[in-house]
Amino acid sequence: MDTPQASVVEERYREPFAARAVRRLAHWLLLAPGLFLMLGLFLVSLLVFFSYSVLSTFREGRLVDEPGFGAYVRFFTDSFYYACTLDTLSLAFVVTTVTLLIGFPVAYTIPKLKSDLAKRLVILTIFTPMWVSVVVRTYGWMILLSRQGVVNYVLTQLGLIQEPLRLIFNFTGVTIALVHIYLPFMVFPILSVLVQMNPTLKEAASDLGAGWFRTFLHVTLPLVLPGLAAGTQLVFTLCLGSFVTPALLGGGRVQVLPGLIYRETTAVNWPMSSVASMLLLALALVVVLLFNKVTDKYLVTR
Amino acid sequence: MTGERMPKREMVLRGYTGLVLAFVLAPLLIVAVNSINPEAYSIFPPKAVSLRWYFHLFTQGQFGFAFKNSLIVAAATTIVSLVLGTLASLALVRYRFLGRDLLRSFFLSPVVIPKIVLGVSLFILLVRLDIYGNLTSLVLAHSVVCMPYVIAVVSASLVSLDRTLEEAAMDLGARPFTIFWKIIMPQISTGLIVAGLFAFIISFDQVETSLFLVRPENNTLPIEMFLYMEKWQDPTIAALSTLLILGTFLLVLSVNLFLKGVDLSKFVGGARGGESAGPPGADR
Repeated sequence: MDTPQASVVEERYREPFAARAVRRLAHWLLLAPGLFLMLGLFLVSLLVFFSYSVLSTFREGRLVDEPGFGAYVRFFTDSFYYACTLDTLSLAFVVTTVTLLIGFPVAYTIPKLKSDLAKRLVILTIFTPMWVSVVVRTYGWMILLSRQGVVNYVLTQLGLIQEPLRLIFNFTGVTIALVHIYLPFMVFPILSVLVQMNPTLKEAASDLGAGWFRTFLHVTLPLVLPGLAAGTQLVFTLCLGSFVTPALLGGGRVQVLPGLIYRETTAVNWPMSSVASMLLLALALVVVLLFNKVTDKYLVTR
Repeated sequence: MTGERMPKREMVLRGYTGLVLAFVLAPLLIVAVNSINPEAYSIFPPKAVSLRWYFHLFTQGQFGFAFKNSLIVAAATTIVSLVLGTLASLALVRYRFLGRDLLRSFFLSPVVIPKIVLGVSLFILLVRLDIYGNLTSLVLAHSVVCMPYVIAVVSASLVSLDRTLEEAAMDLGARPFTIFWKIIMPQISTGLIVAGLFAFIISFDQVETSLFLVRPENNTLPIEMFLYMEKWQDPTIAALSTLLILGTFLLVLSVNLFLKGVDLSKFVGGARGGESAGPPGADR
């Protein structure tokens, strides 16, 4: 309880038992409905789903109640699943890196804009697409990147290419679209740190004779690192779970774990989709924990 | 000021930002352009202008039905996640108790959980319980996904609340419930609106979570679009997408006007799953 007022403490002696119990347990009462949803639906369903990986077996197109580790053995010996996992990780890695390179300068520029209107417009433009369905945005990229799409049209008109480039139904197309989709999630945390930054620090640095680059390197960058770490972590984990874009823009050539989970579930091979899901979840959690550890170690203690 | 070099560097940064803005807007604009293209495939530049695909869209009854489903699910999800999330935020911000940090992480964890894992596991649980396929289960599933965002945003506004008003009310004998409605609610109303908007749009956009949870005759709009696009790629989807984009911009713009003068960046830090980038003094 964090109600340290003296008057309240005195009053507690005259309080009826029931009222005191309610107040003692107030936070649990407040938490109960949400916790019920989280435990009852979220946690229980994950546990039930994961139990399928050992409690049943998929044989001849059917699910049989026969415990075993068959799905694990197959997953970790078949090279297709290995390639899937590798594709998922490399896609997340490339997308996160590109998003960081594109997002950071933008986030850095926004607080420097002089007029409030310009600031508002830029922020609105960056963040509004976030509210547009991923399906719609993926479709937009399908049109832009197709053989007769805008990108190929412009490049041909400029004489930069003779033949249209193959930009969709491969890794390139998926990467471009995912960078577009996750860009706001990178700009978000970086911007939030930048707007809270104390401007006098930079002024002090330049008063002491530091050039813009040294100021950036020794003052701005260290202060922005928590935002950078948060954005990188968020984009990487979101990317690991992306399904719609690789499914539509990958054209079957970009095999990632979420797509694998979708197909195995549809084929009633629940043990296999369970193993793949556990691996995907584990990857996401490892990324989160790793980033939290790094953040705590290097950034909070300062 | 370092004199002459300053503006040049700024110019480069601004030009770069302009390019990125073009990159951000391009796929949305091209969808609108393609929706008036009379051909059955996408081609740039369009050879003529026609509203053919808009007319075709309105002959496709499944989209209207799916749109209605999506609205119902998103509205219900907004209410459920807003109520449960606000109650949980009150507990997480206002009380100190054993396991509080762990509980907070648990509540925020659906943000980083791959949505397809969540969708498939709920599907399997509901099939086992034999209650698969109704919209209620979809609302509950979406609430799990949306609640972390509500908690993040509402917690951020609760932290920056002026406590003296509550103390004054308490000294004057107000009951906790009255304090909540009359004092806390008005102060966090902006946060609640932002959180509600988040919940609505996130629910409306769910594909992976819903994919297995809806019966084919009960599809939501993104699912219907996803399935349509797997089969056809004619500009019907462009016409529909254009209408959706316009709707979204109007929604965001009206909320933005409604919240004019409110510093939205206050909520920026809270919306992600973690700690360090939150508003000053958020949870440490």
